[in-house]
Amino acid sequence: MSALTHEQWAEALREGDLLGVTCTDCGRTYATPFLVCDECKSRDLERTALPREGVVYSETTIQVPPRDFDGPYQVGMVEVDGAKVMARLEGGAAIGDRVVFDDVLEEGGDPAPVFRVEE
Amino acid sequence: MPRASVVGAGMTKFGVHDSTLSELFAGAALSAFDDAGVGPDDVDALYFGNAMGGQTENDTHLAPKAASRIGLAGVPCQRYEDACATSANAFKNAVHAVETGVHDTVLVGGAERCTPVTGLGTDEMTRIFASASDRHYEQPTGLTFPGVFALLTKRHMHEYGTTEEQLAHVAVKNHANGQFNPNAHFGKETTVEEVLETPVIADPFRLMDCCPFSDGASAVVVTSTDRADSFDAPVDVSGVGHATDVVPLGAKPVPHHTQAARDAAAQAYDQSGTTADEMDLAEVHDCFTGAEIMASEAIGFFEDGEGGPAAEAGRSALDGDRPINPSGGLKAKGHPIGATGTAQIVELTEQLRGDAEDRQISGAEKALAHNLGGDAATTVVTVMEVRG
Repeated sequence: MSALTHEQWAEALREGDLLGVTCTDCGRTYATPFLVCDECKSRDLERTALPREGVVYSETTIQVPPRDFDGPYQVGMVEVDGAKVMARLEGGAAIGDRVVFDDVLEEGGDPAPVFRVEE
Repeated sequence: MPRASVVGAGMTKFGVHDSTLSELFAGAALSAFDDAGVGPDDVDALYFGNAMGGQTENDTHLAPKAASRIGLAGVPCQRYEDACATSANAFKNAVHAVETGVHDTVLVGGAERCTPVTGLGTDEMTRIFASASDRHYEQPTGLTFPGVFALLTKRHMHEYGTTEEQLAHVAVKNHANGQFNPNAHFGKETTVEEVLETPVIADPFRLMDCCPFSDGASAVVVTSTDRADSFDAPVDVSGVGHATDVVPLGAKPVPHHTQAARDAAAQAYDQSGTTADEMDLAEVHDCFTGAEIMASEAIGFFEDGEGGPAAEAGRSALDGDRPINPSGGLKAKGHPIGATGTAQIVELTEQLRGDAEDRQISGAEKALAHNLGGDAATTVVTVMEVRG
């Protein structure tokens, strides 16, 4: 029994909720589904609601996009509750900036979270 | 005790080739045969690397197709795909096969076409390259491969103070080395200032921080250490490490450490009984300038955070104390994805035979190759040595 499938993760994202999984044995949290904890190999993972606020871990602005995307745009890894999620960034975020999850992007067919720099 | 020996090596020039994948591979394979002094009847298997032929050219089941062009149909043929580490993984399996006696002598190599000769433009190729990132948790953001390595490099800059000028020094060095490699796609004298004036692709990377789209093929003949005695110029393979890391990037505890490279390097050093300090040169996976700096630290050539200053100080140049990418690397030699791993083995073979001419590292006896795939989730590290 999976704590979280991609379909459930994507549906929640579309409804404004960022989900992840937490290992009940070692406590590590991931911002995407896993069936086994990468850290301690436990199968005891449970679904967890991640906070809407996070901190930019790294970021870049894509000037040469793939087919189906219009650039330039900013992409980054955002730390939420110890997990890192790949996201689209708005507002010119730099490493260490606080950002808030406030939109969903569907340009690529599947949803991706959009985080905006906190005012 | 070496694990296997390379007794023949060949590659096409990397660049633009309007010939089929099988024809390209034949060019490299027949060069490797001639270099070893063997023919198809002496070869027991083909280990073939191609990463994207199904997506770029609607061309799959490539191992028997490639074998058919060069008289190898009949022997067992297999194809490997591990993104940019494709043919290094084929090489790893070939070494294991001859070491354990599954086969006596094998041909291993790869071919790929990435330039617009495939009919695909930059946006389509950028999409195909991005297929190696996580399908569900990375691709929907519009992340590209320059973007993947930009994210790693920017965090490295944040942690250690690595600068854009230090990145540019890598490009200047590798283009300078490429001038001396007749098989390189590019090679020229350039300056840090010129690199910093080229357009931004994904900050901190500018055009000159990125390897080109290239077409090409490479191949080596691998045999058991016992059989190698009967060949003219064998070079020993004393260690091949192979490790993976968790995908997506966000699940890696410290993404810019490229942990798989550290683990693969540790395995290769352990198998060969060597250390980083004993290596006379390294070919590393410089798909982007920042990738070379991270690789130079992961293989233990420089302490963490010292890769940038070392590049700036010229320590990784041909005449430095830690030469890196004498071939010009992916940056200048070119990066036909599935051909890159065994092209590094070709360069190590030439360097350890003393045949690398104007880019020869004087007295090279031990050398390392670092071939990375995807978002650094796959890395194969090989240690080769002059035959004792």
